[in-house]
Amino acid sequence: MKGRVVVEYWEKWTDFERAAMAARVDEFNNSQDRIFVRFLSVSRVDQKMMLATAGGVPPDVAGLWDLNLPSFSENNALLPLDRLAREAGLQEEDYNPVFWKLCRYRSHLWALPSTPSVVALHWNKRMFREAGLDPERPPRTLAELESFNEKLTRKHPDGSLAQIGHMPQEPGWWLPDFPSWFGGASWDGGGRLLLEAASGRAFFNWLESYPARFGGPELFRLRGAFGNFASPDNPFFNGKVAMILQGVWMDNFIRKYAPAGFTYGVAPFPETDEHPQAPLTIAQTDILVIPAGARHPREAMEFIAFLQKQKNMETLCMEQRKLSPLARVSEEFLRNHPHPYLREFQELAQSPRAQPTLCLPTMKEYTNDMLVYANQVLLGRMSGEQAREEMAARQQKALQAKLERWQRVAQVRTAAWERELAR
Amino acid sequence: MRNSAIWHRWICRTLLGTFGLLFALPFFWMVSTSLKPLRETMRMPPVWLPVPPQWQNYPDAIAAMGPFWLYAANSLTLAALNVLGTVLSSALVAYGFSRLDWRGRDGLFFVLLMTMMIPFPVVMVPLYGLFRELGWIGTMKPLWAPAFLAGAFNVFLLRQFFLSLPRDLTEAARIDGCGEFRIFWQIILPLARPALLTVALFQFMATWNDFLGPLIFLAREEQYTLALGLQALQSTISGTPWHHLMAASTLVVLPALLLFFLTQKTFLRGIATTGLK
Amino acid sequence: MTFGERRKTVQGLLFVAPWVLGFLVLNLYPFCASVWFSLCDYSVLSQPVYLGTRNFHDLLQDPVFWKALRNTLLFATVSIPLSTALSIGLAVLLNQPVGAQGFFRTLFFLPCLVPAISLAILWQWMLNGQMGLVNVALRPWFDAINGLLGSSLQPPDWLNDPSWALWGLVLTGLWGTGQAMIIYLAGLQEIPAELYEAASLDGTTAWQRFFHVTLPMLSPVIFFNVLMGLIGALQTFAVPYILTGGGDGPGRSLLFLATYIYQNAFDFWNMGYASALALVLFCMITILTFAAVRFGEKKVHYEGR
Repeated sequence: MKGRVVVEYWEKWTDFERAAMAARVDEFNNSQDRIFVRFLSVSRVDQKMMLATAGGVPPDVAGLWDLNLPSFSENNALLPLDRLAREAGLQEEDYNPVFWKLCRYRSHLWALPSTPSVVALHWNKRMFREAGLDPERPPRTLAELESFNEKLTRKHPDGSLAQIGHMPQEPGWWLPDFPSWFGGASWDGGGRLLLEAASGRAFFNWLESYPARFGGPELFRLRGAFGNFASPDNPFFNGKVAMILQGVWMDNFIRKYAPAGFTYGVAPFPETDEHPQAPLTIAQTDILVIPAGARHPREAMEFIAFLQKQKNMETLCMEQRKLSPLARVSEEFLRNHPHPYLREFQELAQSPRAQPTLCLPTMKEYTNDMLVYANQVLLGRMSGEQAREEMAARQQKALQAKLERWQRVAQVRTAAWERELAR
Repeated sequence: MRNSAIWHRWICRTLLGTFGLLFALPFFWMVSTSLKPLRETMRMPPVWLPVPPQWQNYPDAIAAMGPFWLYAANSLTLAALNVLGTVLSSALVAYGFSRLDWRGRDGLFFVLLMTMMIPFPVVMVPLYGLFRELGWIGTMKPLWAPAFLAGAFNVFLLRQFFLSLPRDLTEAARIDGCGEFRIFWQIILPLARPALLTVALFQFMATWNDFLGPLIFLAREEQYTLALGLQALQSTISGTPWHHLMAASTLVVLPALLLFFLTQKTFLRGIATTGLK
Repeated sequence: MTFGERRKTVQGLLFVAPWVLGFLVLNLYPFCASVWFSLCDYSVLSQPVYLGTRNFHDLLQDPVFWKALRNTLLFATVSIPLSTALSIGLAVLLNQPVGAQGFFRTLFFLPCLVPAISLAILWQWMLNGQMGLVNVALRPWFDAINGLLGSSLQPPDWLNDPSWALWGLVLTGLWGTGQAMIIYLAGLQEIPAELYEAASLDGTTAWQRFFHVTLPMLSPVIFFNVLMGLIGALQTFAVPYILTGGGDGPGRSLLFLATYIYQNAFDFWNMGYASALALVLFCMITILTFAAVRFGEKKVHYEGR
């Protein structure tokens, strides 16, 4: 390790995900003798990176989430990577466009993907069979989803719910993105939220239909019986919910916790459009960034570029049981991958209608609000209309404040970025 | 008289037993979960006695956490430094606020109380900047140096105890021409042993279990403490290995538990006398 | 000041010097920085931009702030008397000569030793609506009442019901009284046995001895614990944060002021607004504590004064 440049790399992962990256770090360290990457597993990596950058002692590479990108870049926490990436030979054409989009903000490149995910409908084949549905045929439109939902719902003799076909709040991790399945976006990419548009209205009306059809208190009671997500009492595993929207990692949990003989299927989550041109999905990715003020940006980029090589990326993603973000995917990757539905997920990711997940500058506030309001509507305590209006008003205000802050510093900031890139 | 004493004893025992069981429930659950295979850990309602007990979870948890014994050594070092610094400085300061009369004392004491009311999140950033100016980021100093500057909680606690010791003790010594520091060291401190031990115990536990401080200020794995190391067993996406987490938690709790069990006996002996020697 | 007074002041200050140094560096400086931030728009990684009192205007009109304030005050009002009564009661019980005291004391203290993450998981299980221990214990009572009145009441779904989540949290807070209990125990030990002997010679009952000997002698410690409880309850952050996964709980019923401050500071990049919230919380705690101290100084009995 003597004489080498030390690159500090902070990452959020633990357990087998960490092991997968640690193996790549070791490979990199052994493949050359100029750079040594010191790999540190940190919980709350975004908070710690923010503090360290403020204190002037940031790491050289950090593993963040895609939704951190707008706020971190706008607030001066990241180094723009356009030039460094180009010099390292990384180009847009090498990537699946939706993941490349997630790494860009305000016309600059801020990150490179590490491991991505997309979401799909997962359904319990046994429950389909028992309800008289063809276990190999998933619903193809939202209307079909709802009709399957009716068939899959069972009640106890006392009227309470025993099982349900689908419940938007189980798991409820993509509620902010859901209006996409109703045909529209939630944000115009600039200063306006689009909750008032047709898709937003349709989404909240759909939420409202649940307590109307199944009863708010009954839904509440059913939800009260759900066990811990990472356990055999996960409602998808123990037969309480038949269809869920989940990401590529769900297979890991199924392997660990679902009962023996559990069979499930994967398909694009149905939307309102009866004949879509291509399947719709939401794409997310973990990202690698270089903090502003990092001491060894070039060496950091060298390490990141190493990870982006097809062979290394595919090994990393395979060991983490996720799909690959690259444009080209090798046959071995598809064949040897432990995930039974990897081809389906890879195809979804490559669909022209794969959308990057909503990445507002106010993402945390938006998600918090969405959870609160969606739950109130689903329990029948608030009308969809009221929830949508209140949330739109609050979030538009928060977004406005963030935009004002950006306006104040925009010139200075973009000039600084240009200078950094010209060095 | 004798009968009611026996009744009294048994009623107390029953009450203690029932409440004790309730209070000990978290710990029992923790130990019970640590001995289960992963699939059984989150079952509701839980099985209290896992059969067969998976003792293997313990070495597995230690291995999964990384350099467990290094973390333990770090935790111990920090705890020892913090206890030493806290007991010494808090006793000194508490004496000044309780057994001495001087102008501005009560006002300054209220300021001390007020420092405990400042919410931590907003103080974190300026504090971090301060430590960076001192060049302490990357060392363990931010985690033990402040203990020598007398934390408000312990000063307050000791002040209350010092105030409950009779005035005559110190008056007599002063009349004899004894210096204040001698009074502090030779009269008040020995009498306040139960309180000092309490402070030491609480500080040990606080430092042993503190993970926010190490999270913010430590950037090298070699400096990590046990509490921070436990974080390594909590995974965001792949599902927490509960059996390992609970096994590791049990191991982390044990030293504090032992320390408590051993020292609480001295509380038994602490019945103060009004001994005017 | 007279010469004697000055000498005494210098002496006093010498004794408290370590704290004064700590105060200036670790408390005053960050506090002043925070007050400055409260008047700015500050995102930690950019320069603060002066806004005047706008943060405070926004605060007063922010329904989430008022909700968080309400939750915090409600929680404090209920949990402080409950935990004080419980910890004093337990300390008195533990002070009785019942044998195996060391064992019992350790039992009660155990929850304070368990790491926060384990406790939070345990609460999630114990407060589960269908299968949690609390409701399993309550259900027979509810069934009995239902049988008598022909009603169909259910024990609450603690963690998902916006009306009950806060009370579930109060319940879990009671497990943490071990620390206060130990302090009370140490205080009880300090009460000279002669006082009790003298009182029983006068022919008093146990209850009378409790109210006329125990409580007054224990009052400095009660004062301490109640004050600490007040300051602590108003700054509750860790357990609800872990229980809700960093969120607000059902219908925002578990959002405490300290949590909202943390969210604004680190999740929403609004350190300026967070500082304003913190200043409001600080003032509130100060006023309440001042009132408590004034009240306490009259009632508390100090032997050493």
